[in-house]
Amino acid sequence: MNVFVFKSELWTAQYTGIKVNTLAAFTRVLKEIDDDTIYYHLYRNLFEYHFLPTDYGNSFAYWMAENGFPVLAEKFSAIDLIECVCISDLREAMLNILHSGIDGFERICKPFYFIRAVRKVVDTGVRAKDIEEFKEGLNKVGVHSLFHHLVTSRLVHGEPTNDFSRWLRSIGEEEKADRIEKIDLMAYSLYEVRDRILRILES
Amino acid sequence: MFEEYAKYIDVGTLNELSKLAEELKGVRVLHVNSTKMGGGVAEILHRMVPLMNELGIETRWEVIKGDIEFFKVTKKIHNLLHMPGRESLSHQDIITYMRHTYENVAAIDTDYYDVIFIHDPQPLGLIVKKREGQKWIWRCHIDVSTPDEETWKFLEMFVNGYDGGIFHIPEFVREGVRIPAFIIPPSIDPLHDKNIPLEEGFIRETLERFGIDPERPIVLQVSRFDRLKDPFGVIEAYRIVKRRYDCQLVLAGSFADDDPEGAQVYREVLEAKGGDEDIFVLNLPPDSHREINALQRSATVVVQKSIREGFGLVVSEAMWKGKPVVGSNIGGIRRQIINGVTGYLVSSIEGTAYRVKQLLANDKSREEMGRNAHLRVKHSFLITRHLKDYLLVIHRLLKNP
Repeated sequence: MNVFVFKSELWTAQYTGIKVNTLAAFTRVLKEIDDDTIYYHLYRNLFEYHFLPTDYGNSFAYWMAENGFPVLAEKFSAIDLIECVCISDLREAMLNILHSGIDGFERICKPFYFIRAVRKVVDTGVRAKDIEEFKEGLNKVGVHSLFHHLVTSRLVHGEPTNDFSRWLRSIGEEEKADRIEKIDLMAYSLYEVRDRILRILES
Repeated sequence: MFEEYAKYIDVGTLNELSKLAEELKGVRVLHVNSTKMGGGVAEILHRMVPLMNELGIETRWEVIKGDIEFFKVTKKIHNLLHMPGRESLSHQDIITYMRHTYENVAAIDTDYYDVIFIHDPQPLGLIVKKREGQKWIWRCHIDVSTPDEETWKFLEMFVNGYDGGIFHIPEFVREGVRIPAFIIPPSIDPLHDKNIPLEEGFIRETLERFGIDPERPIVLQVSRFDRLKDPFGVIEAYRIVKRRYDCQLVLAGSFADDDPEGAQVYREVLEAKGGDEDIFVLNLPPDSHREINALQRSATVVVQKSIREGFGLVVSEAMWKGKPVVGSNIGGIRRQIINGVTGYLVSSIEGTAYRVKQLLANDKSREEMGRNAHLRVKHSFLITRHLKDYLLVIHRLLKNP
């Protein structure tokens, strides 16, 4: 029997000791910095602020907007985090935007502090053997469990699907798996995502 | 006690905390600071220590001892780290600090523990007692980014002996800190008298006791009487607002008997108030938690117009009560307020007045921002998040060094 194990992830933050105050320095650091730092800055909004109507999608974009680069901020904000399945693709996407002819590369800005995500995955102890138990499980776990299975899992497996859909397919629920895969995680809060998944499972 | 938090955060999140703590069973933790009573550090430890024990992590709390001379020196160190330039650390100060440090080294048993949290600079020197296998963490609650150089040089040798440091925001980390620097903001406790729900009757009674009209809008700033909190700027902003809007201004805070500067600022604030009967300058006893709670709950708009701030948790306290906050765009305040979503960030007296007017004029946006503000605190500034961060740091240092 294929049992679904609900996991979740917890984050704290560690300062890398690197701060920059020009776009040029930012670009140089972005080329080299570790994946956990990019992960922190790009996904933190989705992880922490998903329930609030914030202006920009990630902290890179916020810094750019605050320092007079609104177009860059918009472009960085529009990076679809769910389409990418590895950090190196995201890094490349960001560098491409930065290399697309921006003025003011050397202008002094407010500092940007690079922070690394310190993450820990925990087993929540919640299990599901069938759809009914899966629905119960979804209601028992915190929203960071959804983040783990819908967002992080794509990066972990390097596949354009998520743990929920993968499991549903394994028990023959192809259509439900497809519909969950199509939910736009960038457009809804994780609480709304949970409601949508529950509706799909009940349909 | 742990279950009581289920009223405020979802059960799934509490469960995750328990699971994380299970992995740390058997770990023994010690917190050391300089006082059991008063101040934000002691307040958090009073709750944090029992919570960690309840989660199965044996945790104790010790307080260093010292005479008045020692605490004069540590106060001086605090000032020199926070606001350099006014004074300097003498050789005699260093001797006093070291003598008391060694007395505390002898008095406090740290050998029994696996992880030792040292809070702030006062007990920093205890690191000389570190034994192999232990993890020592310096929990720094102040801004040490631009310290007095000589003072920092003296402390740096202790700081870099730690296995990790914890700072409120990255801006507070001094360049030259070579240990892993974790960024963990402070938190508020929803079960503390300052933050618990209050009955309407008590709120009304509190306002009436101070002569404040519960039926008219209230603009509130809660802070000690200190120039860095800019009470004069708040009065000026209020006067701009008052030209168009009927409102009352409440400046609530306290100053200790041994704080001559606080008494002076209080007198000057009273002078600035002049004959305006809609300005209330309240010097409250330090344990007036429920009164402050009542004032925050009755406020229409809360202001925090500090010039410099450690973190400014009073912002989160107001946000927790569903109030939009107009706060200075500095340090910890800008970490709490999301501009235009949970309140407004401002950089001038005029800007403060402009945003206060906007909020007074618009019930709907006030309510919406207040709701967002509550959610923001619920997810990011409650003690349960703080606890989770501490457990993650312990886990990282012990299990993935």
